[in-house]
Amino acid sequence: MEQPGAAVATPNGAAGRPILELKGISKFFGHVRALQDVDFDLRDGEVLALVGDNGAGKSTLIKIISGVYQPDRGAIFLDGKQVHFPNPGVARDHGIATVYQDLALVDQRDVAANLFLGREPRKGLVVDRRKMVADSEQVLQDLHIRIPSVFSLVGFLSGGQRQAVAIGRAVAQGGRIIIMDEPTAALGIEQSRHVLDLIHRLKAEGHSVIIISHNLRHVFSVADRITVMRGGHNVGTRLKGETTGEEIVKMIVGAEML
Amino acid sequence: MAEVVERQSWEDAEDSIALGVAGPTFTARKLTAAERFARQRELGILAAAVLMFILLSVATDKFLTLNNILNVARQISLLAIVAAGMTYLFVAGELDLSVGSTYAMGVIAFATFSAKWNLNPLLALLATIAFGALVGLVNGLVTTKIGMPSFIVTLGMLSVMRGAALLASNGWPISMNVPGLLFDVLGGNILIANGRVALIGTTLTVPPAAVQALIPVQIFWMLGILLVLGFVLSRTPFGYHVYSTGGNKEAAKRAGINTDRIKIICFMLTGGLVGLAASILVSWLHTGNPNTGVGFELDVIAAVIIGGTNLFGGAGSIFGTFLGAAITGMISNGLVLLGASAFFEPVAKGLIIVAAVALDILIRSRQK
Repeated sequence: MEQPGAAVATPNGAAGRPILELKGISKFFGHVRALQDVDFDLRDGEVLALVGDNGAGKSTLIKIISGVYQPDRGAIFLDGKQVHFPNPGVARDHGIATVYQDLALVDQRDVAANLFLGREPRKGLVVDRRKMVADSEQVLQDLHIRIPSVFSLVGFLSGGQRQAVAIGRAVAQGGRIIIMDEPTAALGIEQSRHVLDLIHRLKAEGHSVIIISHNLRHVFSVADRITVMRGGHNVGTRLKGETTGEEIVKMIVGAEML
Repeated sequence: MAEVVERQSWEDAEDSIALGVAGPTFTARKLTAAERFARQRELGILAAAVLMFILLSVATDKFLTLNNILNVARQISLLAIVAAGMTYLFVAGELDLSVGSTYAMGVIAFATFSAKWNLNPLLALLATIAFGALVGLVNGLVTTKIGMPSFIVTLGMLSVMRGAALLASNGWPISMNVPGLLFDVLGGNILIANGRVALIGTTLTVPPAAVQALIPVQIFWMLGILLVLGFVLSRTPFGYHVYSTGGNKEAAKRAGINTDRIKIICFMLTGGLVGLAASILVSWLHTGNPNTGVGFELDVIAAVIIGGTNLFGGAGSIFGTFLGAAITGMISNGLVLLGASAFFEPVAKGLIIVAAVALDILIRSRQK
């Protein structure tokens, strides 16, 4: 077994050091085995797609990484050092930011307030509104997100813009590793393209990204590697350039076992 | 190269996520349609209040006198104080139907503490406020920890507190004629006569002709509390968290906000304000009546709703509630001055509440 943190060669020859590794992870819910002895790794600066059918264990794996669940067996390593995430706050402190499928935005509040939800910058006893607005504009600018104003109420934004704000919040939280659960599921073609461009942008800014998606076309458009889950197991990981949509589908449904 | 982009319509906004290697960036600082809408709502209520003020001044010359204005202000003071707490609750996504009954129990408590037990006035005041906060704590705990809708919890508390007030007083009013500076500070008046200012109780110490102005102290309590609570709700992290809790509790929780604690604090704040209001009432009227406050909760909720805070949480303001209370006060006052039957008042209030919410919904749907 490889030592945690050892560099692994990527196809273009550059060392893609694994920054996150899960080894032997199992998770039970009563008698249900949600995850069975799963190994998983995420390399520095890559976009990794996690795919699989419903109930394959993708969400459970993500929730273990983001600290919502704790594994019953196995260990998590960050930069080669073992870590524990007893709650989402600890995972966040380690630079793991999650964008949930429901986005978790407050519609009645503006973009700036949402970007800093729960982490509002302070000046003495009050919120440092000026800093919050300036930092918000900076985040949106860095990610090339166009929104009319940071004072826009999030509820009035389009689906793509809301997704962008949720992603922007993950970045503003200092997310080194950004996890996205079905980022394009609720979006039309045009807006999906914008979100995928945003993911490219995240990679260019040095973040590492895990995305869960059912949409293999989107997966092949952004991912560097694809990990397939089935029945609580990690069935395998492929480099995008070395696989096809057909092979991935076979791995998802188990046809290659036949 | 930066380019400031101005957006005038939501259709433009729809396709405006533009990404690219060296693309132009954005954020106009101008108010967007959404911000303009929110401002419109507050301005709309302000306009309604000003319009009512002007109409009443024109309709009868008894309205725009110093005495009458001070009278209206005094009448809405205690309502506004409790409504400020109720605003926090609405913004947090909850409500408290028990405030009228807790008001009655608070009145009995304060009268008992100061007149029957002869406690130090300050102690009596603090104990009454603490009592109110305790009721709020119970409301908050049952709502958050047991997970019952606050509507049901506080409906139960409404009956419990009304019964408690009647039990504790045997159904009879308690007379409160204990002299004391604190009672004057709570329920007295500022007298301006012969060019001098003095704090007095409720009995006039100079001949009426010499009085230049008699300002109820309650008005200052109202202004002070509204200013502080308005500031806290709109500018502090706690206030932001109240809005987030009411807007999307799940999102707030995931962001690390302790939503149960936020709600419990809002319930306790409301309860404490009820205790304070009850103490002021007893200090002013010199009596504690267990039948006080019947229907008070509806007046408080009306003020909050007319002021633009909606029941769904996440939005609202103290200033709006103040305007709502002012409008309520002007309706009562106006009906009396115009010689209309007092029975018109609840009809007028009910119509205005429905009109206010209907207007809100219409404006929202037009904006979308």
